[in-house]
Amino acid sequence: MLEWILRGLRQGKVTTSYPQHPERAPQGFRGAVEVLEQGGRAPSELAALCPTGAIVVDGAGRVSVDRGRCILCGACVEAAPDRFAFAARYETAARSRSALVVPESLEAEIEPLSRTLAEQARALGRSIHVRHIDCGSDGAEEWEIQALWNPYYDIQRLGFFLTAAPRHADILLVTGPVTRALREPLERTWEVMPAPKALIAVGTDACSGGLSAAGALTAGGVDAVLAVDVYVPGSPPSPIAIMHALLLATGRLPAGVAA
Amino acid sequence: MSLDTKRERAFSLPGAQRESSPAGELRLRVGAGSFDRGAAALREAGARFVTMFKTGAPEATMVSVVALGGELITLAAPFDAAAVTRFGDSWPAASWAARELVERNAPAAAREPFLTAPDADRLDGRLRGLDVFTIPYGPVRSGIFEAIQFQIETGGEDVPALQTRPFFKHRGMEARFAGLEADRAVYVAERVAGIASVAYACAFSQAVERALGVAPPPRGERWRAIHAELERIACHLDVIAKEAETTALYVGQARFQILKEQVMRLRLRLTGSRFARGVICPGGVRFDGAVSLDELLAAIDALERDLRRDSRLFTGTASMTDRLIGSGRLPRSLVEEYSAVGPLARGSGVSTDARHERPYGDYRRLGLQVVTRTEGDAMARVNVRLGELSESLRLLRGSIDQLRRENGELCAPLPRSRSGSALGWVEAPQGELVIWVEVRRGVVRKVHIASPSLRNWALFDHAFPKDVLTDFAFIEHSFGLTPAGADR
Repeated sequence: MLEWILRGLRQGKVTTSYPQHPERAPQGFRGAVEVLEQGGRAPSELAALCPTGAIVVDGAGRVSVDRGRCILCGACVEAAPDRFAFAARYETAARSRSALVVPESLEAEIEPLSRTLAEQARALGRSIHVRHIDCGSDGAEEWEIQALWNPYYDIQRLGFFLTAAPRHADILLVTGPVTRALREPLERTWEVMPAPKALIAVGTDACSGGLSAAGALTAGGVDAVLAVDVYVPGSPPSPIAIMHALLLATGRLPAGVAA
Repeated sequence: MSLDTKRERAFSLPGAQRESSPAGELRLRVGAGSFDRGAAALREAGARFVTMFKTGAPEATMVSVVALGGELITLAAPFDAAAVTRFGDSWPAASWAARELVERNAPAAAREPFLTAPDADRLDGRLRGLDVFTIPYGPVRSGIFEAIQFQIETGGEDVPALQTRPFFKHRGMEARFAGLEADRAVYVAERVAGIASVAYACAFSQAVERALGVAPPPRGERWRAIHAELERIACHLDVIAKEAETTALYVGQARFQILKEQVMRLRLRLTGSRFARGVICPGGVRFDGAVSLDELLAAIDALERDLRRDSRLFTGTASMTDRLIGSGRLPRSLVEEYSAVGPLARGSGVSTDARHERPYGDYRRLGLQVVTRTEGDAMARVNVRLGELSESLRLLRGSIDQLRRENGELCAPLPRSRSGSALGWVEAPQGELVIWVEVRRGVVRKVHIASPSLRNWALFDHAFPKDVLTDFAFIEHSFGLTPAGADR
């Protein structure tokens, strides 16, 4: 055991200081897709580039990307680099589905929050218990959520603890598009959680269904079943993105960190 | 009787015809009546069952795939549900594949376009007696795990009966491929089982390439091997970290989590994605790694140094080995009966590895030292993974060395006018992955996935011969499977 401890000491500290200090994504990280202003290609051709229909062109020819649908495959960036680019950023979570559409569509009103989550979360202080339920993810989201408890991210330092019992949970992390067989387990898990509680849809599949659109097999996203408080797009979202979403849900983002 | 003679017996069934096929595949067409007899003959010749599915061609053809002596043999016959059921009943390895095939092709009245997902509340206990009860563990698990259910029948301590129930997560991914152009459909492949994105992308791409008669350029093959080995390292480190966690060796858990996170970050810098998504494509790879080869080598050297120390400490910690040695023992005969693959099979002395049996891409040049253990317990499966970590590091160096000396293309163009069908295979971190692809004029028509996770999970029901309930978690982790791949 002594040797193990020495190994640990020799390694030194690896834990991120996020959110006190921003964590920069390495160059080239495929964090999110951005729409570039200029560009020569006719907007009508652009929508067809996306395998999940995330690129929307409105009547006036304005192009937007719905990050809640984007699986970050890069097909648009490859085919039309003058219109689309990857942004190397971690923070992608938003409190409403419409806020995931960039640049913001003019029609979409800023939705008032269904609940003032931050106020509710204040009652929980720095002891927030998190529960996860898989509703048909591809398995990568689970890895990234698990990573939050590894020494690099160590989310316990921020007061987030993992709990096995839904009855003890304050926040529910949901992954996957919600398959037919998992719809009821999801509803029942949410039902037994005591208020105040928050639900975070983790990953593009959970935000919109992603490649598994609504149909006979899946509900096409968590919000088809339950109200979602925070959406984290990404295929899968990085651990920092999920940490950002947890802080957003509890109203604990310090000033200076993008909301 | 030699292997060849036995194999020939399967080929000499009445009405059997050989069909042309890409290299490494042997296609045999028989009448519906000879289907299960043909399969039985192949089994007797020592074949390993791989999968069973229905092709997308106009006529309804069922195909069974087995691996035998460095080849994949496909046995095709007109679809007949009764023959499929007979086949599934006669060979344990084929039972889930047979059930799936019958369900997907049930008569119109009962047909559902998906696999029947289990009802989470239904208990089908097989044991009766005083104080025997059933624990439905899942689909909502404790901790951050994928959805699957285990019905554990127990009297309190030992586990006399266990039933694994997958398919809660069935998303219909195979159907999602149809109608997409081959080079775009690879995005679907990457999202079938996320933790093995590279393996799925490579198996799909290789199937497309074989169907269309395209060979990826050497540099494309080297990069594929590099991404695949980094993925294997990440997956194996994940299993070992989870074993440390479940045996309450938290310092060890932290050490292996640190190593895994370093590999994930290296993959991010190489490809822009922590899961190396978006780099593999039919024809080769889309781009060079964004890290210089020197830097990559330095990262591998550092990883090897840390890994050597941490694994020595890990295997020398009695509180961990005490739990793993002798737990979840699977005898070799059982592994062979169920045609299991991957580190699971290699831990029970079965030397099977797609990189060795049917080398593909850069592995044709690199060669492979297959790591096996004979004990068949959870410790053996961990030791196989530890051995494979070193072997992966050797393979990585081999591919990087070769890349230094080469210039040239990364990707070969796909001929859009061609059509064809083929099997593609890789050794995923979980075991051998085989994907069947039919392409018509550059567009994917039909895909079938034989995931290592589904094939190996059938064995989990037998993994508790002398073990108790508290051994559950680390026996499950020693399997190292992913429900997303099994359920598709």
